[in-house]
Amino acid sequence: MLSLARLFLILFVGLTVAYVSVSLWSRQVRKGKLRSAWDEGDREYGEERDLYVRRGLEDYDDSFRRKLILLVYIVPLAVIAYIIYVVNYT
Amino acid sequence: MVYIKWAFWGIIALILFAFFHYTLPQHDIVRVSDTYEKRVDFGENSIFWAKEDTGNATGNINRDVFFIQTIKKNGKPLVYRNEDTGWGWPPYFKFDTSNLQTQASDLRSTSENPKWVMVTHYVWRVEFWTVFPNAIAVKQVADPDMTIIPWLNIIILLIFFATVWAIRVRWIRFRQRRIDPIVEDVDEGWDNLADGARERRGRFSRWLSSWRR
Repeated sequence: MLSLARLFLILFVGLTVAYVSVSLWSRQVRKGKLRSAWDEGDREYGEERDLYVRRGLEDYDDSFRRKLILLVYIVPLAVIAYIIYVVNYT
Repeated sequence: MVYIKWAFWGIIALILFAFFHYTLPQHDIVRVSDTYEKRVDFGENSIFWAKEDTGNATGNINRDVFFIQTIKKNGKPLVYRNEDTGWGWPPYFKFDTSNLQTQASDLRSTSENPKWVMVTHYVWRVEFWTVFPNAIAVKQVADPDMTIIPWLNIIILLIFFATVWAIRVRWIRFRQRRIDPIVEDVDEGWDNLADGARERRGRFSRWLSSWRR
């Protein structure tokens, strides 16, 4: 049981680091895209550039796209479950 | 400098190759001749042995380990150990050691009437240090000369190299955008400082020479 707890602790720390870095990186990419969209003349989120970027990011915060980053946690756990099944039960 | 750089990357590549070759599963076609268990006292090779079965007491200095004796197609012997990896490294999550031993015993055959078995294992057999590969699965095969395509290894290596490449590209871009301008700035500042000093010295020596006249 202790080794299972250790595995989960390591996984949790590692995946959280991955989750946070992917989140920051994705938000940065989104910001860059919003800026270049404003520069190209898009005014969907407002006339002013800063306001446009801020509103665009707020929209991104609620998006399904951002929730997809949770796959960082889900995929490894699913892979582990699959490995356990294949190695021990087939 | 170039040699040091290449030596560094060469060593990194060697370590990576050894790591993957040690950890990733490999397949052998063999014939199981017998199975046994033996009490093992772990010494300086203890790092190559797995842990005690999941749920058992930990920290023992010795325990019984299952072994599977096999003969390869070319007639040479190959002995596997059969241990739980449990929740530890490498992440095979193998808990069915006793079941595997039962299957392996069931597949025993003689050289006159061979039953060919595909054994999946990791780790190497190192006779000089009493290191045994750990068997993960046994499966009877009809044709001993079948070609085995290691799909899993291909996928894992592809994902690994794709990740390394993606991080590398982003790091290079980040360096060009954020770090190179700073270095250039410092460079320029240094140039200005040097130019200024040269100019001042010029003025000073001109002033000196004005006294020499």
